[in-house]
Amino acid sequence: VKEVEEIGMLLPQVEESLLSIGKFNSIVTLVAFFPFKSAQTALENINAISEGVVHADLKLFLETNLPRSKKKKGVLGVSDAKIGAALQEEFSISIQTSGVVAEILRGVRLHFHSLVKGLTAQAASKAQLGLGHSYSRAKVKFNVNRVDNMII
Amino acid sequence: GRGGFGGGKKVLIEPHRHEGVFICRGKEDALVTKNMVVGDSVYGEKRIGVEEGETKIEYRAWNPFRSKLAAAILGGVDQIHIKPGAKVLYLGAASGTTVSHVSDIVGPEGLVYAVEFSHRSGRDLLNVAKKRTNIIPIIEDARHPHKYRMLVGMVDVIFADVAQPDQTRIVALNAHNFLKNGGHFVISIKANCIDSTAAPEAVFASEVKKMSAEQMKPQEQLTLEPYERDHAVVVGIYRPAPKQKK
Repeated sequence: VKEVEEIGMLLPQVEESLLSIGKFNSIVTLVAFFPFKSAQTALENINAISEGVVHADLKLFLETNLPRSKKKKGVLGVSDAKIGAALQEEFSISIQTSGVVAEILRGVRLHFHSLVKGLTAQAASKAQLGLGHSYSRAKVKFNVNRVDNMII
Repeated sequence: GRGGFGGGKKVLIEPHRHEGVFICRGKEDALVTKNMVVGDSVYGEKRIGVEEGETKIEYRAWNPFRSKLAAAILGGVDQIHIKPGAKVLYLGAASGTTVSHVSDIVGPEGLVYAVEFSHRSGRDLLNVAKKRTNIIPIIEDARHPHKYRMLVGMVDVIFADVAQPDQTRIVALNAHNFLKNGGHFVISIKANCIDSTAAPEAVFASEVKKMSAEQMKPQEQLTLEPYERDHAVVVGIYRPAPKQKK
């Protein structure tokens, strides 16, 4: 069960280049990758993500991998505005949450298993399957006494 | 097949025009899909067993009155884009009745990401997903795809049956996140749920217009008469390949 945070060089013409893995690789390079140690930590992380909270694992990951130099102006792309804002406070780095980031993340999603060595598409879907079950079950259990409010 | 369909002897299974869907010719014709979990009915539907040589294959009847996708197929929709091996994001999965048939169609090679917000039907969905390993259940609001972005990869098709006033926006949001360029969407629209005062045709037309504004190119529209009243299914393509611009 894995998650990737990507620090890529931003280019405006990303969308066209997303289609082929070769072109995609030439503009986006995987700098660091952090697999979750267990299904348990993955579950904690997805819960944090769905609430828009920065999980300790994510913080640690960014701390170790963000470029340190003050002079080089880096932009961190984050897909969730809420997490983006939290990170901006934490690291005082400029955060971009819209436009090109969404496009890059589309590409990352499309080519994910070729970006990460040793992860096949099958393994990825198995991971999603397991995590989906545990996440959803936790959701249902979490609200066991609450009655659905049907919207009609 | 124990009971039904003429005692199970005189049935003939023919492949449907849509890959993965079959027609059962018996006393009455019925739409069926190949059961992934042999011996199991999901919602009390009929099963038809057929022996082909050594192996026994089982099919499940697909009721067009209970599933809008089945109604669309029987209504003669040109393309459903859901086929063996496809990855499908299913918004508005409910208890998993149609989802189970979609999982039959895509087969073990495919994947169905089933998103449902209601916890009550979510529980049923989880039980369906437990038996069918190609369904990934996601109990979450489809309005917030970023909440389940960690779970979903890129998909070939989005099927939406969410019946919300802003459903086109919901589908567009999900498409921006998860749908491949040139991927397809199949949306079921219930006119009443969007605007109960306007004429159904007007509602459908305005929804189609909204889709075009979101890089979703509608290709086909079909009403679900006689199975559902004032429903339409719109099939289209997202970011079609030849002209790409942004």
